[in-house]
Amino acid sequence: MKPWLRYAIAIILGLTLGIGGAWLLTSRGLSGGQIVNVPWQTSLGYGVKATDPLTRAAVARGGLLALPATETVYWQATTDSAGRGLTGKCRYRLTGGAIDARWWSVTVYDTKGFLMPNAARIWSVNGANVPLDANARWAVSLSSQRPEQGGWLPTTAGKPFHLTLRVYNPGKAFMDAPTRAALPRIEREDCA
Amino acid sequence: MSGWRGPLLVMLLTAAIGGAGAVIATPRVIMGVAIDRLSSVNGLNRMSHGDLATPENQPVVRPSPDLAYSACSYDLSKGPLRITVMPVPGRYSSLSIFDGRTDVIFVRNDVQARAQPYRVIVALPGQTVPPGSDVVRTEEYKGIALIRLLLTAPSELPKLEAQRKKSTCTMI
Repeated sequence: MKPWLRYAIAIILGLTLGIGGAWLLTSRGLSGGQIVNVPWQTSLGYGVKATDPLTRAAVARGGLLALPATETVYWQATTDSAGRGLTGKCRYRLTGGAIDARWWSVTVYDTKGFLMPNAARIWSVNGANVPLDANARWAVSLSSQRPEQGGWLPTTAGKPFHLTLRVYNPGKAFMDAPTRAALPRIEREDCA
Repeated sequence: MSGWRGPLLVMLLTAAIGGAGAVIATPRVIMGVAIDRLSSVNGLNRMSHGDLATPENQPVVRPSPDLAYSACSYDLSKGPLRITVMPVPGRYSSLSIFDGRTDVIFVRNDVQARAQPYRVIVALPGQTVPPGSDVVRTEEYKGIALIRLLLTAPSELPKLEAQRKKSTCTMI
């Protein structure tokens, strides 16, 4: 093989490896953060100039126009509280209590970060519309079929999904110790 | 095999440079696409008050279905930009300004604004701005100013529409 051909192949392979690797490394959406509060993950570096290039690129791909943590903390869950991938084949119970923030919401997205069609046209639950019980706790069913009773956050049958928890204007205690903050739990109930 | 030593080094070097270049370029490329997409509706330097995010309406990735977004894609090459924000009393709203690299160069919410209307001037270094203005200086020509307004239900939007359309952006 002629030397120039070897170098041409090397350059093509190198670019493929480099750009492909960059694509993979920045595919984590908002879930590759350094802060973990199982099953949620975040970073406090979104949207700020001091953030690292990998985080900036990952957020551009998975959460463009995200606010800095002083305004909003974006948590992402790709698994349930036991570490199993979230899928529309299963039914989950999403439960929580008060969150130390001015307002919060949990939204269902596909694995690329887009809303999925559902007949009920419901894509989120939030601190303003979720009903609380006598202990100030809330629970909704996370499933493709509407439950017989109680709150419902629809998923798409058979399709994997991710959840994004937005915490707007988080309180000082929350920001001081986000890994210990009380966040919603995601418990798998059964699967098709 | 020794004939491959040089190409192998070139491959590793190309991979490193290509990977780093792709990571660094990604935010700017995606922001450029978003600026073009948002300005295709109303043009540059004008506030566009979008409909709520649904599966059929997702101008950018990971939109919140609970927020009404108003967006202004801007280009400062011909002069500074004036953004006027009219908060809706008693509910969360914020103005955030993103530069062409996706970094936030300004953010203010309704509480920080004491629920009062306010104006912000976005300008390049050296551009003349009105005296006494609240000025955000940036070295990036292009970016997006985004107003988020929280809704408790989608049905609220029509009654808040008139108020949110008082928020504007325009070249000075």
